[in-house]
Amino acid sequence: MPGKHLRRLPAALVVAVAALALAACGDQYPNTTFTHLTDLNTATDALWNRLLLLGTIVFVFVEVLLLVTIFKFRKRPNSPAPKQVHGHALLEITWTAIPALILVMIAIPTVKTIFKTQAKAAAGSLQVEVIGHQWWWEFRYPELGVTTANELYIPAGRTVNFALKTKDVLHSFWTPNLGGKRDLISNKTNYLWYTPNADIADQVFNGFCTEYCGSSHANMHFHVYTVSEGDFGKWVDHQKTGALGSPIAATPVMAASMPGMPGMKRDAKVAAAPAVNTAVNTAVNTAVNTAVNTAVNMAADSGYVFPVGKIPAHTIPSTPLPTGEREVKFDDTLLPNGNAVAGRELITSMANLGKAPCLTCHIVKGEMTMMGLTDNSASGPNLTHFGTRHTIAGGIYRSDAKILARWLKNSRLMKPGSIMPTLGTGELDPQSGKKLAAGLDDRQIADIVAYLMTLK
Amino acid sequence: MTTYASSAPEQTGIWSWITTVDHKRIGTMYLFTALFFFLFGGLEAGLMRVQLARPNQAIISAEMYNQLFTMHGTTMVFLAIMPLSAAFFNYLIPLQIGARDVAFPRLNAFSYWVYLLGAVFITFPIFFHIAPNGGWFGYAPLTTNQFSPGANIDFWVMGLQILGISSLAAAFNFITTIINMRAPGMTLMRMPMFTWMSFIVQFLLILAFPAITIALVFLLFDRFFGTAFYDIAKGADPLLWQHLFWVFGHPEVYILILPAFGLVSEILPTFSKKPLFGYNVMVYSGIMIGFLGFGVWAHHMFAVGMGAVADTLFSMATMLIGIPTGVKIFNWIATLWGGQIRFVTAMKFAIGLVGLFTIGGISGVMHSSPPADLQQTDTYFVVAHFHYVLFGGSMMGIFGGIYFYFPKMFGRYMDEALGTWHFWLTFIAMNLTFFPMHFSGLLGMPRRIYTYDAGQGWEKFNLASSLGTLLLIIATAIFVINFFKSRKGGLPAPQDAWGAATLEWSIPSPPPEYNFARIPIVTSRSPLWDLKHPEMSSGAAHADADPVQVASANAVPLREETEHHTAAELGIPMPLNTVKPLLTALGIVIMFSGLMFIHLDHFALAMAVSLSGAALLIGSLYAWLFSPLE
Repeated sequence: MPGKHLRRLPAALVVAVAALALAACGDQYPNTTFTHLTDLNTATDALWNRLLLLGTIVFVFVEVLLLVTIFKFRKRPNSPAPKQVHGHALLEITWTAIPALILVMIAIPTVKTIFKTQAKAAAGSLQVEVIGHQWWWEFRYPELGVTTANELYIPAGRTVNFALKTKDVLHSFWTPNLGGKRDLISNKTNYLWYTPNADIADQVFNGFCTEYCGSSHANMHFHVYTVSEGDFGKWVDHQKTGALGSPIAATPVMAASMPGMPGMKRDAKVAAAPAVNTAVNTAVNTAVNTAVNTAVNMAADSGYVFPVGKIPAHTIPSTPLPTGEREVKFDDTLLPNGNAVAGRELITSMANLGKAPCLTCHIVKGEMTMMGLTDNSASGPNLTHFGTRHTIAGGIYRSDAKILARWLKNSRLMKPGSIMPTLGTGELDPQSGKKLAAGLDDRQIADIVAYLMTLK
Repeated sequence: MTTYASSAPEQTGIWSWITTVDHKRIGTMYLFTALFFFLFGGLEAGLMRVQLARPNQAIISAEMYNQLFTMHGTTMVFLAIMPLSAAFFNYLIPLQIGARDVAFPRLNAFSYWVYLLGAVFITFPIFFHIAPNGGWFGYAPLTTNQFSPGANIDFWVMGLQILGISSLAAAFNFITTIINMRAPGMTLMRMPMFTWMSFIVQFLLILAFPAITIALVFLLFDRFFGTAFYDIAKGADPLLWQHLFWVFGHPEVYILILPAFGLVSEILPTFSKKPLFGYNVMVYSGIMIGFLGFGVWAHHMFAVGMGAVADTLFSMATMLIGIPTGVKIFNWIATLWGGQIRFVTAMKFAIGLVGLFTIGGISGVMHSSPPADLQQTDTYFVVAHFHYVLFGGSMMGIFGGIYFYFPKMFGRYMDEALGTWHFWLTFIAMNLTFFPMHFSGLLGMPRRIYTYDAGQGWEKFNLASSLGTLLLIIATAIFVINFFKSRKGGLPAPQDAWGAATLEWSIPSPPPEYNFARIPIVTSRSPLWDLKHPEMSSGAAHADADPVQVASANAVPLREETEHHTAAELGIPMPLNTVKPLLTALGIVIMFSGLMFIHLDHFALAMAVSLSGAALLIGSLYAWLFSPLE
């Protein structure tokens, strides 16, 4: 009776493996690690192929041997008593030596690949600082003066050297299509480099955080855009500038608090704050409103932005808006009439709402900066060219006015654990469990959405 | 020697269990408790698989999911598989070496109670949604106050320390037992393979647990007393935690798998009617695995940027460990080769281990290569790998062990028909659950995510894994039904239920409280086969050893013991039942619990609770030490 069951084992195994193999071949796997899109992944994949080949041989050999053994030596009626064998030195030496030999065949290319891929990046490679935050990614191009968030542009064909750091807990930087991951370790800088093939311009790749980092670990994505050298240059030229909708460097005070300006001590920045506010009140109020209005009305020249039409579906996030208890209700009819000028006003002065202004945590290069905020002290993503980005909130939502409005109203329902505070009046802050008494109404949020969307 | 047989075998009632110091009863309690937590951990996994069955689901919140995966890992490692192994250590080691109990019976009871109370301490918070949520690996700095201010991590830090006490006490107990209490003639190289593997595991425990204890004490001091071992704002290097954790964590893998290897090494020879092939090599490879297990910890850290030289060294050490493991697989197959294989349920699970663990071993070699590992680590590929090791290995071995030793423990066989259903459903379900994870991982799916977007190419693998988990739950339910049904109504089993070779089968089932009426003299590795099937032992190399000097007047040549006597009738002194180990354990847990109130800013209350716990601990420990054993 049990023997009958056992005879089904090989058949069941074959069917299971075949079904899985078929399942694995019949479809599109957009995040596959089996690519040759970079030098790093080409090297890794060669190693993997050897591991898979040897692993499969060992697997088939051992399982077939096991199945043959249990089939051949199953108890039959009247079978003679088995010969009592206690061991066999030669056999045992053989099956110690053969695995050792197989491991040598793995070890040699492993060591070669380790030293090849962990060598210093070639001189002249593009330097990118990757900084992990709970739960979004900051990308800085220190040689180019560009800071952005969650969307990484790299030129196809040029080696890019990532310097990996974290602002808080551990994270891990991984783009499955492009190559192996590397952790972001507090108080340490890690490096990872690869060269995207020259022929993979105009493609988008998903990136993930792969080290558990708290509540929204699952919501910490990013996107890598590989572009041609020419497009990359255009993109950099534009991203370097302040936001078009902003009064760029309207006053010297603001210039002094721009990111990257040396010599500013923390106390000095605090002391400078009242001066900033005065400056804003005088100079900005007059000149700026016009600038914003103009910006909103004119067709924005946003330099190079990765064209929407070329973005593959799997890199467009389709995270649904939360429903049920976590639903964020918003009057969408307000959105088309959002007033960017009023929105700009709000992000700098929310004191009347008992809230810290947006610019306490976010930098919009060209706008006034609170407390001498710099890239290093800003706790939220740099929003300078927010309007050129295709995603928001750590790459989990499309950049879309309706989603953005809800995000501003109560990001903590949209992304568990979100550090950005709940802003909508009357909204329940899931982290404190309290309702927000004084905050923004839908009208004001629509205005801020309108302003943010002008930041091309 | 004052009282005889105060704990007669007829003793029943809950109090007799609470005060027992009998290794068999303690083993049985370990078995029931650990099976409960195995089911609990399985249900936690079931909830996670419900959430991940389809993309973008919101059935379980992110916070709850994070608690579930933390507790699933913690539960399965510390509350299910380790204590399931401990159930077998307790029950079997004295029986296999021909002893009447463990070296320290009361310490043994203490180990169990600490385990039970620690398990409750670490588990109950999940019902209040404040369970540990930092992963079973608890990486700093996420687990520091700065990033995890709640009580969640406190339960974890203290719970694991409590559980560590249990493991350490048990390990010293079993080492002493195995070294000192073997029957005359039971040389080390005649010990049954399960006892050998258990012996190795006890050394792994006493060497590995100090590392995690240090790591946890640092974290506890950081969280409660403001030290800065892991405080990144004060310049801490978070890799300190990772090194300490994995110096424990990797040997822990062998702590989880070697007992199962031992059980399988008992089952395969019995149902092949052949001795274990290459006994010596099996022993040496077990020792080798244990030894190398301490030199490979940083292969869990290939992505942290240790540098090319360290990566190379840990990679090579990891590959090396594949050799003794491979040898074991081939020796098991060679044991089967030429045998007369009887496919009882226990045997099916044992053969299942050989087949499934091989898959986990092969994927293990795949991530011993750091460049390849960088595409695999922290993805579902790794989840697939270690579930083939821990489910396909440890759990298959433990299920086999339960079917095999059930007749010894309860005097009845488990039902073979239900057992066959259990095996085949488990076998299919486990492959359906875990094999697709190889694909989802290599196709880009990270671990520890409570949700994933649609259209990423992961849907069908996740659906398969979720359906597999459902099937696995059904299979386990069949096992539970079988277990309880057979305990009362199974076929009665004779003392040598399967025709096995080792000492535990020479005494009645269930064994009397004193185990052996007369301590047997052991002359070979398969004493019972020598007695019952002398033709099978002829020419065995191990039988050529020097004739045994009779070390004890009580020891006699082995014979099957079928008569039932009480210990008093035989004049065997038995240890007295006592509740003091339980009180001591309770004292420790209360002492730790007091600290919880510090985080609630009730310092006085914290001190009061901790000090009363300490008073209970010291008081009952003194009472324990001053009361005679027998």
